[in-house]
Amino acid sequence: MVGYIVRRLLLTIPVVIGVSILIFAIIRLIPGDPAVAIAGVHASNEYIEQVRKDLYLDRSLPVQYGIFVRNLFRGELGVSTMSRRPVATELRERFPRTIELTLAAMLIASLVGISAGIISATRRYSLFDNLSMLVALFGVAAPVFWLALMLQLLFAVNLGWLPATGRGTWRHLILPALTLGMATAGLIARITRSSMLEVLRQDFITTARAKGLAEKVVVYKHALKNALIPVVTIMGLQFGILLGGAVLTETVFAWPGVGRLLVDSILARDYPVVQGAVMTLAVSFVLINLVVDLAYAFLDPRISYQSQESE
Amino acid sequence: MRKLWLVAAVMLVLMPLASVFAAGTKEEAPAAPRQELVIAIGAQPEALDPIAMASAPAATVGEHLHQSLIYMAPDGTLEPSLAESWQAASDGLSWTLRLRQGVKFHDGTPFNAQAAKANLDRFLDPESKAPYRFLISEVSAVQVVDEYTIRLVLNRPFAPIISNLSHSFIGMLSPASLQSLAKGEATSNIVGTGPFKLVRWDRGEQIVLERNSEYWGRVPTIETLTFKFVPEDAARMVMLETGEAHAVMRVPPADAERLNANPGIDVVYASSVRVIYAGFNTQVKPFDNPKVRQAMNYAVDKEAIINTILAGVGYPSTAPVVPAVFGHTKVGPYEYNPAKARQLLAEAGYPNGFRAVFHHPTGRYLMDSTIAEAIQSMLREVGVQLELQTMEWSAYLSFLRKPPAEAQHQMYMLGWGTVTLDADYGIFSLLHSSQWPPTGWGVSYYKNDRVDRLLDSGRTTPERSAREGLYAEAIELIWEDAPWLYLHDEGQINAVRSNVEGLIHHPLENILAWDAYIE
Repeated sequence: MVGYIVRRLLLTIPVVIGVSILIFAIIRLIPGDPAVAIAGVHASNEYIEQVRKDLYLDRSLPVQYGIFVRNLFRGELGVSTMSRRPVATELRERFPRTIELTLAAMLIASLVGISAGIISATRRYSLFDNLSMLVALFGVAAPVFWLALMLQLLFAVNLGWLPATGRGTWRHLILPALTLGMATAGLIARITRSSMLEVLRQDFITTARAKGLAEKVVVYKHALKNALIPVVTIMGLQFGILLGGAVLTETVFAWPGVGRLLVDSILARDYPVVQGAVMTLAVSFVLINLVVDLAYAFLDPRISYQSQESE
Repeated sequence: MRKLWLVAAVMLVLMPLASVFAAGTKEEAPAAPRQELVIAIGAQPEALDPIAMASAPAATVGEHLHQSLIYMAPDGTLEPSLAESWQAASDGLSWTLRLRQGVKFHDGTPFNAQAAKANLDRFLDPESKAPYRFLISEVSAVQVVDEYTIRLVLNRPFAPIISNLSHSFIGMLSPASLQSLAKGEATSNIVGTGPFKLVRWDRGEQIVLERNSEYWGRVPTIETLTFKFVPEDAARMVMLETGEAHAVMRVPPADAERLNANPGIDVVYASSVRVIYAGFNTQVKPFDNPKVRQAMNYAVDKEAIINTILAGVGYPSTAPVVPAVFGHTKVGPYEYNPAKARQLLAEAGYPNGFRAVFHHPTGRYLMDSTIAEAIQSMLREVGVQLELQTMEWSAYLSFLRKPPAEAQHQMYMLGWGTVTLDADYGIFSLLHSSQWPPTGWGVSYYKNDRVDRLLDSGRTTPERSAREGLYAEAIELIWEDAPWLYLHDEGQINAVRSNVEGLIHHPLENILAWDAYIE
């Protein structure tokens, strides 16, 4: 097990290097002179040239990449061109808020999704089943942006139960978490359902029933654990995705997280922030996937990381 | 067991809603007797330190915390602020400013000539990399004459210096608060002389200010002023409707009527210093011919654009700058006359019109892409076929700012806000032939020697009435030459809760709250 973890951690290194090259290249491919973007419309030519020099934009690309990597090794993520604050500070402030939102969304999505999926599977083709799958489809298909505005209109304007935007009390968390969690809830519900159905068809379930075990025990002790494997995969992936991209939700609800910071920085060509944020997200995503993979071993005793041919 | 799961799941979803019911309803009642004002703006200031400020949100918030030497009133007059009076030397090469006495910074240290010099030097220091340094870059030295008098020595006479000094980005901070900073380092600890003090800045979320009870001027009635950053237009309107915000800026024209119909909300229409225009690349055919450019001006119905697309907010341009700008003179508007347009095109050798490409931004200016489409259809009536192209703002800027030989644009849409309310800022930077890229933003590549000379004199002549005459003549020539399709002077649409009085809606696109109160 420890060997497996160590190997996985070592594998993150080439992934991180790959991501760093990718993000470095991509933002520099965006059309437009970043020095002009940063300096703004009213800036003088000298200022634009100054900005260009300060960001090493006048050097060749390999040199720029070299500087970027050197700083990474020193643990320096650089300074934001917009706010002139260290990128690390900006991220340290915004990241926990996005994690908070994402965790809340995942909590809602998992509880609602798994419950609905289990019930749908055990009561296949019932009214509940059809209804919940329809709602799940709606959740996945509805544009996040539209959903956010609708929820805002209903609960903040018309009913006045919840605040429209911002962050502060737990009440501020409800609407954004609901919006963000809807699509994932739908996804989880559908996958839980189909996975459960798959598992419930297996021979060992028939055996358990034949042995006279109560249905509750069959479903929860034997079937569920196995059925959850694909669900856990999805949950892990979704968590990583939500972490990096809750931009629409954050924009509509003015949630001060990393997603908005990223978009604002891209538009302002704030390279240091974009690079720093993406690198942080990439590393988080890799670590989350590692945790997910480790969870498999708990869920499915057939999977063992002692052997050589794992995963 | 299954039923229990179902019940549990349903309860989990309903519980928060139920306790919301029990706990109470909205966050803050709008008509609270407590003087706590909330203003929702669309973006966060990038910084509040003068050497790093570069945007309107920064100016809006910054104005409440720190002050420049001179204050630009909404009607454009320059009023004493931290400087009580100012006088140019007869040769125009220096200006002496008498500073206000008895003013303290929020940390208790006094404002005096040393403090003013420290701030101006820091702003001018190339290592500070202040984006707006060019406003006062003609200042070669700041001298302390006595405790409350400073003298600015200029490289050459520069008449707009006083208007430029009123810019929000040249605010005064307490030198004590700047001591531990490195060169070029911006501070988050904003200690100014303004009517409000900084309490805290929750990045990405809000800035909270409290009133300065030791303010040298009229102490505000508002005790706590919060600026919330809400980028989504619809969300800002929602906040106003629920009362979570007392005032919002940039109301979409389509929402104005609906909000006004709400008895708890007043929509405010204010003027702005921004003009919107479609520029021509005067170095390429067919826009090298002034008759063609004039024809384009006659072919577009600016009133119609304002009334149908902008909900009646704005005015057809009467000059390259808005009326509030010093130096403005009314030479327009170009009336809507398609027949005259066709005639001019025929005289210029294009009786059947021509084709051209019109570049425009999307989402940068109010209804920009819709306006571009309207222009396209109006010009089609006179035989001009425009192809519309749009790009993202930063890419657009780079695309335009090329030397004439590399320019790829023929016709482009831009706005320009004359934030110093001085014609020099509005006209020199765009229409003086020395300001062609790569030096500046003269992307029309316009060159008129007489205009150049007039604009140069306008800079160096200290006497105001003489300057007015120079700009009047320059504007007449520029209007005739029509390097731009002059569209409209933008208006601002803001909205305020009805029980809030005294907010200033400044043409510089700021909302100022120092005279406000909640009824």
